[in-house]
Amino acid sequence: MNASVFYAMTPILVLSGTAMALMIQASIKRDHKVASIIVAIGLILSLLGSYYASNFTQPVTVLLQVDNWSLFFTGLIIAASLIILSLSLKTFLPEGERKEEYYLLLILSVLGAVVLIQSSHMVSLLLGMELMGVALYVMIAFPERGDLPLEGAIKYLVLSACASAMLLYGFALIYAATGSLSYIGIGAEVARAYEQNPVLVLAGSAMVLAGIGFKLSVAPFHMWTPDVYEGAPTAVTGFLATVSKGAVFVALTRFYIDGNLYQYAGLTAALAVLAIASMLIGNWLALRQENIKRLLAYSSIAHFGYLLIALIACAHIDIQLVSQSITFYLTAYIVTTLAAFAVVSSVAEEDVRGQEIQALEGLFWYRPLEASALTVAMLSLAGIPLTAGFMAKFFVITVGVQSHLWVLLAALIVGSAVAIYYYLRVIFAMSKPCKVKGKASTGFDRTLAIILMACVLLLGSWPQPFIAYMGTL
Amino acid sequence: MRKDPLIPGVYCHDLIQFNNRSGVLSMLEIVFFYIASLVALIATVMAMTRANAIHALIYLIVSLLAVAVIFFLIGAPFAAALEIVIYAGAIMVLFVFVIMMLNLGEKGDKQERQWLSPSVWVGPALLSIVLLAELLFIISDVNGPVSTSSVSPKAVGLSLFGPYVLAVEISAMLLLAGLVGSFHLGRRYLERDYGDERGKE
Repeated sequence: MNASVFYAMTPILVLSGTAMALMIQASIKRDHKVASIIVAIGLILSLLGSYYASNFTQPVTVLLQVDNWSLFFTGLIIAASLIILSLSLKTFLPEGERKEEYYLLLILSVLGAVVLIQSSHMVSLLLGMELMGVALYVMIAFPERGDLPLEGAIKYLVLSACASAMLLYGFALIYAATGSLSYIGIGAEVARAYEQNPVLVLAGSAMVLAGIGFKLSVAPFHMWTPDVYEGAPTAVTGFLATVSKGAVFVALTRFYIDGNLYQYAGLTAALAVLAIASMLIGNWLALRQENIKRLLAYSSIAHFGYLLIALIACAHIDIQLVSQSITFYLTAYIVTTLAAFAVVSSVAEEDVRGQEIQALEGLFWYRPLEASALTVAMLSLAGIPLTAGFMAKFFVITVGVQSHLWVLLAALIVGSAVAIYYYLRVIFAMSKPCKVKGKASTGFDRTLAIILMACVLLLGSWPQPFIAYMGTL
Repeated sequence: MRKDPLIPGVYCHDLIQFNNRSGVLSMLEIVFFYIASLVALIATVMAMTRANAIHALIYLIVSLLAVAVIFFLIGAPFAAALEIVIYAGAIMVLFVFVIMMLNLGEKGDKQERQWLSPSVWVGPALLSIVLLAELLFIISDVNGPVSTSSVSPKAVGLSLFGPYVLAVEISAMLLLAGLVGSFHLGRRYLERDYGDERGKE
């Protein structure tokens, strides 16, 4: 180990250091303002650190692979966590309650996500996922009032434990077949292992896919999603939808491509079934939702179905193109979802009634900026031109057409057509005449809405700089 | 995304590799493996189907012991010892103690006498005797199944604090998250209970 290894690990080291600083601060004087400032500084420093680390890309021990691709996602999720931090500050942490733990849990969860993104080994994959998950269970159950957060947290905890067990069993089977735990080692040995014992390789990879599928909530592993989304505080739901799912998908891409698992028709078929089921079930069940958070939950199930198409396509076409389309889609998804959750958390109350779509009625008349931001987010999720979601879907469809995945593309088109109905329902609700005026907006809400709306529109209408940047990753 | 390792061979550097080193298992090893697995399966199924928490926990301990025997058999005596010390020893006995301590008073005494009736301990005892016999047979044979390849504590330590040192560090963070989380979730009930008592006074 030399110094450049430590430079490559800057984001992880800074995040761990922030956790240490928070512990020390809590032992001196428990104060939530100081804690929140420490976390914000730590996140900003690690964001800069992920830019700095790009000069030192290299494998860090056997566990992590620091390269430009993973550093880009590291930066993206740290930026997303900063926004989540600002949302949680004002929405669900009321004065007078002890809440310093929240900041520590947030930073630990981000650390887990970064480990997950940079993992190149099954040990770091599992540890990152568990670190992110354990902190998230408590963040979901954080509010001390009401039973819904606790219910959501227990559902997530029990199902995640099952998923982790499944994942571990899959790792054991793959290790038994290939004799290696690192992705590259698996990639080198998998062809020989498949010849010797195809059942072991396929069963192991299928169990790993199922375990990861739980975390990504692709159908048929999606049962927990709506309840957890509804029960968790809105800011934490935003974290779960963007940081957690994004990091898991990056890790899945790494594992699937570096492990050379895309060559096997059995696995590709299994992924295709998951993708089609997610696109159809997610969009279908979203139609009848009255709660905006449940609606976003089902919509995220469908979106990960679309994303899986790009992953399936690497069996047929150049991997560079696949990883670019995954990068664009995930970026667009994270930015759009953040915009939606930022508006929902600033507009809707933290109770069941306040989160119904009806509660958004008349939003255009008393909070036009936030309403426009939510409109742009909904249009982007639906994939309407000039928004990020359109370009993202365009990438996925290009990749799908080039690899002749016609059945999957048909499911995508049917799913998107159905989806327009429920996204537009939200927009129509906002444009109805205003009966009851809700909360007034603050300057911070408006700034955040403008920034996120601008990002979504820029990615959609002027994507060339970002595409050129993706080419260098 | 890179497809080739920057330093050739660094990824495949796994210190613990059973399947390339030990080769073919002996017949005796296979028989022992299946006996221990059968014990583990029976004990786990019994643990899941018992209505009484103590009965379930005792079966669970037997199941963990059986897994430890399997570890011992395939050449990982250190992992076997850890399995017994940490799982069967520390965690499970803690569970049993806590549950037994909660049964205080006259009713608890009656309950405890009931737990000592043969119908409770015969099943787990029989399964444990099978495991014990197996273990005695293995260690009495000097050239027995485990002597071919075994992973010493030193090898485990070397790989934990060599290539996997980051895993140890991340585990520390994981424990911190678990600690802080359980503190936060547990505290609200503690405070509620104290509040009730103060109200009574």
